[in-house]
Parts: sequence; C-alpha cells; structure tokens
Amino acid sequence: MNETPAEPPVAVNDSSGLQFKAALLLLLMILLVGGSIVYLMYARGVFEATQKLVLVADDSEGVVVGMDLTFSGFPVGRVSQIELSPEGNARMIMEIPRRDAHWLRTTSIFTLERGLVGSTRLRAYSGILTDPALEDGAARTLLVGDASAEIPKLVASAKELIQNLKALTAADSSLDASLGNVKTLTDKLNGKGGALGAILGDEKHTEKLLTALDRANSLLAKVDGLAAKADTQVFGPSGLMKDAQATVVQLSGLLSEARVSLKKVDAILIDAQSISANAKESTADLGVLRADVESSLRKVDHLINEINRKWPFKRDAELKLP
Amino acid sequence: MDPQASLSGRVFDKAGAGLRHLRRLNQLTLGWLARAGRTLHFAAMMLSLAMSPSTYRRDNRDAIAKQLVTGLGANLLWFTVLCALVSVVLIRIVVVTALGYGLSKFALEMVVRVLVLELIPITAAVFVALRCTLPDGVELAEMRRRGELQSLQGQAIEPMQREVLPRVMAGVFSVLMLVAVSCVMSLGLAYLNIYGFTPWGFGGYTRVVGQVFSPAVSIILVMKTLAFSLAVSLIPMASAVYDSVDNVLQGRSKAARELASMVRLFSVILLLEVASLMFNYY
Repeated sequence: MNETPAEPPVAVNDSSGLQFKAALLLLLMILLVGGSIVYLMYARGVFEATQKLVLVADDSEGVVVGMDLTFSGFPVGRVSQIELSPEGNARMIMEIPRRDAHWLRTTSIFTLERGLVGSTRLRAYSGILTDPALEDGAARTLLVGDASAEIPKLVASAKELIQNLKALTAADSSLDASLGNVKTLTDKLNGKGGALGAILGDEKHTEKLLTALDRANSLLAKVDGLAAKADTQVFGPSGLMKDAQATVVQLSGLLSEARVSLKKVDAILIDAQSISANAKESTADLGVLRADVESSLRKVDHLINEINRKWPFKRDAELKLP
Repeated sequence: MDPQASLSGRVFDKAGAGLRHLRRLNQLTLGWLARAGRTLHFAAMMLSLAMSPSTYRRDNRDAIAKQLVTGLGANLLWFTVLCALVSVVLIRIVVVTALGYGLSKFALEMVVRVLVLELIPITAAVFVALRCTLPDGVELAEMRRRGELQSLQGQAIEPMQREVLPRVMAGVFSVLMLVAVSCVMSLGLAYLNIYGFTPWGFGGYTRVVGQVFSPAVSIILVMKTLAFSLAVSLIPMASAVYDSVDNVLQGRSKAARELASMVRLFSVILLLEVASLMFNYY
C-alpha cells in the first residue's frame, strides 16, 4: 500500500482503465457462458412442464435418448429414458410438454419406423381429436414398421427370380431351343421354298406341291374349255335345254290328261264305295242268318241228345250204381 | 590374431552399443517424466496461487488486468473475424452438400457438431498458443535469463504472482473467451445460413441444438476447453520457468528450445482432442 502513492497519476489512470476493461471482458464472458447454459437448458426442455408417456416395443433398436416423437411432422415430445421391462420388452419413457399434450388422445396410435436410410422415427397419429386427452403416465404399445426386415424376403424372391431367369436363358433351356427353332424357321422362310418350304419342311415335298399346283392349273384350264363346250351343248341353239323345254310342254299335256283320267278313276272309286256299302249291309244280314242257323243247329243237337237219351244206341252201356 | 578374441570383441562392442542405446532411452524417459512432473508441479503451484487472496492485491491485480487486456485485446477481434469467415464457408458447404443429398435435416446437427464441438475449441487453443502464450513463455524465459525475476524477488515482489500467474491466467481466460464468443457466433451464423432472417425457425433450431448438447456432450466440451486452456497456458510457462539454462550451454539454441516447447504443447493438444473424440463418439 505504501507503493501506491509513489506511482505516477497517469499510471493509476492506466491501471484503473485496464482493470475496467478486464472487468468488462470478464463480465462479457460470464454473460456468454451463463446465457449459453440457460439457452441449452431451455433447449433441453428443463423449464417445460411435462407429462410422461410410456411406449412399449419388442425392440428399441435405433431409438436413442433425446429422440423426438413427432405428430404431423412437428416434435411433440422426446425420449427421456429407455429401459427393459420385466417381460423383456423395451420401455421408452417419453417427456411430452404440457402445451403439446393435447395432440395426443386416448385413441392415438404410436409407430416406430425404421427406414433403409436415415434414423429411426417415432410418430404419433391422432385420428379423432375430440377423444379424451391422453392421461399422464399412460402406456401404449408401439406399432413397428421395419423396412429392413423386408430385405431378406426381397433377396430370397430376387434370388428365385434370378434362378428362373438363369434357367430360362441357359444354353440347353426350352427358350433357347425355341429360339433356335424360330431361327431355323426364319431361315427357311428366307430360303428358296419360302413359307411353303417352312411348312412342308422338305424341298422335295415343296417341288411336288408346286408340280401339283401347276398340274391343277392346267387341269383348270381344261375344265374351263370343257365348261365352254358344255355351255354350247346345253344352252346353245340346238342344245339340250331347248329339247328339255319341249319335253316339259309335252309333260304338261300329259299331266292334264292324267288329271282327266284321275277324275274318271275318282268316279269309279265312288261307285266302288257304294258297292262296298251294300256289301257291308249284306254282311250284316248274313250275321242274322248265321244266328238263325246256329240256333237251328243247337236245336238239332239238342234233339239228337234227346233221341240218344231216349234210345240208347251206345253198345257198351254200363249201369252205375249210386 | 586370435579369432575367438575378435569374436568376443565384436560381441562386447554390440552389447556396449545396445547398452548405450538403452541408457539414452532411459535418460529420455526420465527427462520426459521429469518435465511432466515439473509441469504438474507448476500447475498445482499456479492453482494454489490463483486461490490465494494475496494474489489479488492491487498491484498484482493491475498486472493480471494488464495481461488479460493485452493478451485478449489483440486476439479477440481478429480471431472472431477469421472464425466468422471460416464458419460461414464451412456452414455453407455442409448445408449445400446436405441439401444435395436430401439430408437437410441433418445439416444443422452436423454444423453444430463439427464447428462448435470440434473445430472452434482446438483452433482457439492453437491461436492463443501461437499469438499469446508461446511468446509470453519466451519473454518470461528471457526475463529469467536476464535475472529480472531474481531482482523482483530482491524488491520483495513475488515474481510468480507478478509475472507468471498473470500470463497463465491471461492464457486460460483468452482460450475460454475466444471459444465462448466463437461458439455463440457460429451458432448464430448457422441459424442465419439455414433459416435466414426469420424468427420462425427458432423452435426447430433450438430443438436440434438441445439434442446435440446432451449432458455428456456438454460436459466433454467444457472439460476439453478447460484442458486446452490449461495446456496452452501452463506448458510454455512451465518450460520458461523450469528449463535450465544449461540446455543452451549444451548447444541447444534458443529457437530450438522454443520449437521443442511448441511441439510439446501441440502434442498435448492433439492428445486431448483425440481423448475428447473418444469420449464423444465411443
């Protein structure tokens, strides 16, 4: 303290100025560090009133403490703790800020989605926002959607598909044989015989068919000439057709004559019908006559029997005692 | 000449060379351990002096204030400007790359992790070491060589309190201050780069920052920054106070000694960084 008066006044001013600046720097640092700490505490949700939500899943893989629970893409809570339940399930304890808790209802669904790329996501879906609010400490089961779990199935299917393709495209496969046949067919189509050669398969057969066609053509030409001649002979001035017309006229006359003859026959038939009617009546009279003859014969028979009884002509008559 | 005698002579020569090598290794190890022990002793002494009320007497306070203001005043502005420029470039690169890959939601987290947690603390430590504490150490060594520290003792002034401790405190404070200012500035620049001049991204931004700065990560950042500041301040001063003048007499030049001190300091900084990375990501 004795040294202070010995120092020049300028130095005192300098030292007080330096101390002020140093104090300012210290204050600035305290403010920065203190402000950062308060901001980080705010960012970590230390000052927020929260409620708890327990999400239960078979597997907590990909879930880390601090991870967000999102609703419509907005974070409404974060994982504060992950623990193993006595049943062996993963229990994720979420901190839900009270101001965001109204988005979660008793009917809300919670999902855990694991994508092929990126981090795991926890999502909440509330279908009916008028349902009762989710109570503090509620436990819900997580629905797990795991894209990577589908990979083994996908790989197995792809492997099967590749094997099938391999079998299809192998050197001795049916497809290869079919393609070979198609090539042979197209070669034949482009060859000498063309489509006929491809269909018949052999050049000899093709030649035979072509010869047959040629012959058929010449035959048709002959038939054509023949038809012309036949036309002349049939429809010509002295052809068959004219004779046929005359014959038809004659036939018509014959038919009219036949019609007259038939009328006559018809009259004869009527006569015959009347004759047969008479014969029928005669037949009825014959019936009566027959009845009379039968009765006369019965009477004669009866008479003979009477005579036989009264005058026995039978020689070996035997008397039988009762 | 007897062949057996020559063979045994060669064997003895080889054994002697190996023994000399071992002796040299032993000396190096002992020297390294002695230096580490002296540095730790110096750190303990500085800590006890910093806790001592007599250190904060008016005359010492003036010395501390002078070192704080001169040490930091020269560095704060330049470092902040340089750090802002580098931060803007890095943030832009990360954001554009993340957008290109459709990973924009990870951009902010990556910016915070890369810049605030890793790059800024080590850059600030190296900057303070090169601009402040290594020159201070050299100055102190020169004062010691000139006998100024002994003359202070003759004036009933404790040189550790008057000359050494203020420089150590200035180094520690400079690193802490630069890290605090640069981290806050980088966080602000990251927000502006990603969201622009709008307050509507603040909620999402705060949430991501909160997720990155978990308690473990925050503690590691604080410990790492403290360790950097102590290493940067203590190692050059300890070298200046304890390295014997004999070294110079043995043929080591002043520049070589300063270089050795700098390499030692950077090795320690590197080890601290590796340790913090291991704690953070394993």
